[in-house]
Amino acid sequence: MGDVRTARFPGGPIPARAGIGLRSAHQDELVARRLAVAWLEVHTENYFHEGGPHLAALERLREHYPLSLHGVGLGLGSVAPLDPVYLARVKGAIEHFEPALVSEHACWGHAGGEHFNDLLPLPYTEEAVEHLAARVRQVQDFLGRQILVENLSSYFAYTASSLTEWDFLSAVVERSGCGLLLDVNNIYVNSINLGLDAERFIASVPAGAVQEIHLAGHRRNHVGTRDLLIDDHGSAVCPEVWTLYQRAITRLGPVPTLIEWDTDVPALDVLVAEARKADSFLEKASELAA
Amino acid sequence: MNSRPEAATLAHLQGRFAAALRESGPASEAAIRQLADCIVDDGLEPARRVQVYRNNARAMFEGALERTYPVLRRQVGDDQFAALAQGYRAEHPSRSGDLHWVGEKFASWIAPRVAADGRAWLADLARLEWACEETIVGARLPPLAPAELARVAPEMLAEVGLVLQSCLRTVSSRFPVWSAWRACQVDGSGEPVDLALGAQHVVVTCGDTGLVLHSLPEDQFLFVTALAGGAPLGSAVESAALDVEALPGMLAWLFGEGLVTALRIPAHDFALDRELE
Repeated sequence: MGDVRTARFPGGPIPARAGIGLRSAHQDELVARRLAVAWLEVHTENYFHEGGPHLAALERLREHYPLSLHGVGLGLGSVAPLDPVYLARVKGAIEHFEPALVSEHACWGHAGGEHFNDLLPLPYTEEAVEHLAARVRQVQDFLGRQILVENLSSYFAYTASSLTEWDFLSAVVERSGCGLLLDVNNIYVNSINLGLDAERFIASVPAGAVQEIHLAGHRRNHVGTRDLLIDDHGSAVCPEVWTLYQRAITRLGPVPTLIEWDTDVPALDVLVAEARKADSFLEKASELAA
Repeated sequence: MNSRPEAATLAHLQGRFAAALRESGPASEAAIRQLADCIVDDGLEPARRVQVYRNNARAMFEGALERTYPVLRRQVGDDQFAALAQGYRAEHPSRSGDLHWVGEKFASWIAPRVAADGRAWLADLARLEWACEETIVGARLPPLAPAELARVAPEMLAEVGLVLQSCLRTVSSRFPVWSAWRACQVDGSGEPVDLALGAQHVVVTCGDTGLVLHSLPEDQFLFVTALAGGAPLGSAVESAALDVEALPGMLAWLFGEGLVTALRIPAHDFALDRELE
């Protein structure tokens, strides 16, 4: 007899509406109020454990909300091998919570046995495309499902890069079969930090691959005469990012969109209001697409 | 086709990047410079850009310790906590993409350092906070009804083991660590701990709403610790020097708190486990 699994939670895709990143400060309130947000996303690593109130709260919420698991610690593009224990825990979290989407980052994160627990940029080279695509295939094979790969905020560019960031991501999609998680705030951050052409990025990314969008705030640091934006997810989405977002969904059509707010976390209603704003733009994009 | 300089390969770039993030002191300058050589200089000094990542790596590690050891941090102050975190990171860097377990050895690492300052109790406080960290993410099974123990024949009671929640942890200290922990909770006084309160023995458990810390008399604490270690009731009472008259109260407490998940009876394990679970 084959392996027959019974779904514990409601299935179906994540709707092309706005969701919020679930923070522990909000989980009890969200359980109690059952607010009308379309879906939730959590950091996969926070649910690697056997039990506890956080796990129980997400189990309760999962009965009512579609879920996306978003990893921040795999270090997909590290030259060092992926951590099999970590990967097994990702798989365990997927089996436990039955998410509609699973995502990670186009980054590296560990070397020489040390993990830096940050999203470190890759050079945009042929070698890096091949390496990252192979790693994505390895992960997808292990998990038995497609993952989405997210573009990063970067604070420097490598002299070795020979591809644009969007060509790099397009090649990884083509060679691995992954989807894309398009972080519009990260595109804006890189446009200021690295001089990247944000409009061209959005116009060039492979439209069919984008299955989720992230929106977040950033911090503006002045370094001499220059600005360096830090992707701290600690404030409201800025007007420039909302404008880029509208461009993106005008081109791509309505896409599930997440409001990320991970530091200086505000009241839940503030987060929900940001989601409502994204929803209003998604409704307009739906009308245009109709 | 252009041949790529060796230093530009993925492995070399990640090696240089890792060194720039890892090194501290004088060695860091050379490591940062080597990575900066691989970075586009567009008028904003590459070393300043590298510093963002160095700050992130330090902040991520320190943040994880702060979340695990909030009471210790409050006791020593932000500056000393940061200094301890950096010293610890140099010797015990993160070994996983999951930062949750990064503080596992922090209590033993700080022990000789805080003892040298005449504050040895802080290491015990850290042990208590690590026990809390393990408990809060541990498995919590459905509790066993006390009626199940009543079904055991009286002559077999001494040989019966109580299987406690696997997330339960025990911490014994010659210092008042429970009082220090309590004072720093939302409903605590926040006042400095009075070391004259003396030894405290703490059982850490997790209820539906979060952590529960029980400060027990030494004999009761030793009894719970013995049970958690697998001792049957009779030898747990004996090794803890627990007054037999206190046993019914202790059993009522263990069952009442939902800390017993199964019974272990020698030679009848399989049948009774199936029957009683």
